Amino acid sequence: MKITTMLGDVLRSLLRPNSTQQYPAERQPDPERLRGKLVWNGEKCTGCALCVKECPALAIELITLDKAAKRFVMRYHIYRCTFCAQCVENCRFGCLQMSNTDWELAAADKSAFTVYYGKEHDIEMARSAQAASTKPEPAEG
Amino acid sequence: MQAVIALLIFPGGLCVLLLGLAYEWLDRKLMAQMQNRVGPRWYQPVADLVKLLAKQETMPNGVNPLLFIGLPLVGLASVLTAALYVPLVGLAPSYSFRGDLIVTIYLLGLLTFCMSLAGSNTLDRFSLMGALRALTQLFSYEVPFLLALLGPALAAGSWQIAEISAYAETHWLILTQPLGFVVALIGLMGKLELSPFDAPEAETEIVAGALTEYSGRGLALFHLSRDVALVVGLTLVAAFYLGGMANPLWFFGKTLLLLLVVSGLQALFARLRIDQTVGLWWRYGMLLVLLQWLLMIVWR
Amino acid sequence: MPSERFVIPIGPQHPALKEPGHFEFSVEGERVTGATVRLGYAHRGIEKACEERNWVQSLYLLERICGICSHIHTTAYCLGVERLAGVEVPPRAQAIRVLIAELERVHSHLLWLGVAAHEAGFDTLFMYSWRDRETVMDVLEGLTGNRVNYSANVLGGVKYDLDEARAETIRKGVDYLEARTYYYLELVVHDPVFVQRTRGIGTVTREQAEWLGLVGPAARASNVARDLRVESPYAAYDLFPVQMVLETAGDLEARVSVRLKELFESYRVIRTILDKLPTGEIKGRMPKKVREGETVSRVEAPRGELFYFIKSNGTDKAERVKVRTPTLCNLAPMMTLAIGHQLADMPMLLAGVDPCFSCNDRSIVVRNAQEAETRWTWEQLRRYGIEVYKCKR
Ligand code: SF4
Ligand code: SF4
Repeated sequence: MKITTMLGDVLRSLLRPNSTQQYPAERQPDPERLRGKLVWNGEKCTGCALCVKECPALAIELITLDKAAKRFVMRYHIYRCTFCAQCVENCRFGCLQMSNTDWELAAADKSAFTVYYGKEHDIEMARSAQAASTKPEPAEG
Repeated sequence: MQAVIALLIFPGGLCVLLLGLAYEWLDRKLMAQMQNRVGPRWYQPVADLVKLLAKQETMPNGVNPLLFIGLPLVGLASVLTAALYVPLVGLAPSYSFRGDLIVTIYLLGLLTFCMSLAGSNTLDRFSLMGALRALTQLFSYEVPFLLALLGPALAAGSWQIAEISAYAETHWLILTQPLGFVVALIGLMGKLELSPFDAPEAETEIVAGALTEYSGRGLALFHLSRDVALVVGLTLVAAFYLGGMANPLWFFGKTLLLLLVVSGLQALFARLRIDQTVGLWWRYGMLLVLLQWLLMIVWR
Repeated sequence: MPSERFVIPIGPQHPALKEPGHFEFSVEGERVTGATVRLGYAHRGIEKACEERNWVQSLYLLERICGICSHIHTTAYCLGVERLAGVEVPPRAQAIRVLIAELERVHSHLLWLGVAAHEAGFDTLFMYSWRDRETVMDVLEGLTGNRVNYSANVLGGVKYDLDEARAETIRKGVDYLEARTYYYLELVVHDPVFVQRTRGIGTVTREQAEWLGLVGPAARASNVARDLRVESPYAAYDLFPVQMVLETAGDLEARVSVRLKELFESYRVIRTILDKLPTGEIKGRMPKKVREGETVSRVEAPRGELFYFIKSNGTDKAERVKVRTPTLCNLAPMMTLAIGHQLADMPMLLAGVDPCFSCNDRSIVVRNAQEAETRWTWEQLRRYGIEVYKCKR
């Protein structure tokens, strides 16, 4: 029975740099498949809402402005998203992607957690419609 | 005037406190490095101290308020007094009289005793358990530790710390009394409740042991006392076994070396159960010391 | 004072347990004379919530039952639902599921080693094993994009495929971990102080283990051959068989070494899968609605047998999902064992079964004095929870 099995390892650690990563100062490259913020590119969106239906956290809403003209706006609640990528899986047209670089999503202001995707003036329309209606946000939970 | 300075600033009082904090930081840093992590920054012990001092002390129901407040003070006072009798940073002790070695050792023991009392003063179950364990441990390491330190005293033919360290300057007792040295160093770890002898404050069982109910000033004072006890203990061992008082820098280096060994030992072992600690001291610690004494007598 | 019991509470907030469970040990001096357990602090009503979500949404909810063995929960659920729906899952997908499950086992066991070491006051081993665990977390992150909730399973297959570059990083990681595991195994059976804390502590004989119904590594440490990967191979375990690791001593030391030896088995399986990954699709087509029926799905989680009962009523929602996690089977026996041991052994003993409380606390039946049993909807349950907490505050 050895008295100090750890001795070698402990002495070696004494001499080598420690393995803690000083995160904000010291950064690892972003992993390729990291699931960060959801990004919607509405070019090919058909408005099928498959992504919305199976989102486990009810984090995305598709606002239809004009179905025939394919004018949609996506409202994305970052604070609710569980980053599971089921929506990405569901979209058959590749409209949704999860960014692997944009993952430091903390913010001091709540408004940063709701993101609108779509064309400029569509977003404006959607925003004002939202402000006008008293429709409550979907229940959390 | 000089006496006041010696008492309050250097080498007693303030200087010991700062030294204690510095040693605590070094100990933690070394442990961290051995465990491959970053560890605290240099001002962390000071920051902890300031934070704790500023914090409100909540006194739990059912304690004796006098004891609750008084015990940390007595604890700190006892180790600070002990510091006056040891050759801090290699300078001659501020006060010295015949038999001060015994007094110093008992002043160090008084700290443990204060902590146990503080633990049993509360109704908290973890504190009671911790107090019980601290006392049990006190009775196990105290005798071998004392006997080990008496080895150099015997060799020097004096029970006065100054004289022993003067004798040690010409005799490196670590060479003639290696067993005594080992027991003294490990006894010191037991005294300071460092791992693997940290059963009295095993956080995974009894939270913080005897000090569980302390949250503010009391805790700060107890921590500080323990840091001072670390300095005093290391100084004693270095003075007795590693060539006595020397120039301050050299002496400082010696205590640091001891600290490195102590940190290494802390990193190497799992915590001993309290019954294992007692067994270790009475079975092996005692045996080693007696063997040492036997050798010394035969040597003579 | 034999009549007055001195009770030491451990938890729900206690440095030994990072999760909320409540244990009460009555002690005489240092000796434990009685032990009780109270659970339910981390109850989140997940099973009920599953009845109000569609099949896909439930998957992600169930993944969050446990943070450590998240993948195995979804695997159990997916296998069950796929069987109900009669969906054929491509072999490549099954193999990737098994690959991730084994990587997860590696991460879970290394985590456990650290926790056990910490309970024993051996913080250096704790720091080292968690440092090395980073390797497998990084591997998992590279493969699935996340370190904890991998979200790799979908109904009908997996999301993430494996390419040669990724296989190579996994191989490298596994090589490193294997060397380290040898070292740890050496350490835990030879380090005298650690051995003093584990050998002969909490011994469960084979008969006791059978009778008390231990599962997982805790059972295998008592020489009970109980491993679903071997007994009823699911997913791709028939293609990539594992060998059962057994120990005979039944004490804490055996539980430590069973887990470490299992790691070698995991490394071997991971390598075999990387070498012989079946080709083809990674996803099958999954219908939105699952035809009526019920099924039982059992898998071997890192902590032991994980049991799912799933009932479908032919809609896009589950009628009932019942989960039984391994910790529940293992905790009760430990309470019996605790008696007669030292208080200092309790954290180790508890850690020995690798308890996972958030796994444990799920279902609750609300009994009402008038009506025999009322069934609550998710919304009602949620309201109730909020009310209760408001009252308590
Ligand atoms: S990643 Fe998951 S939670 Fe987030 S929006 Fe997509 S489906 Fe919803
Ligand atoms: S699934 Fe794709 S196409 Fe359908 S609504 Fe969502 S983003 Fe648009």
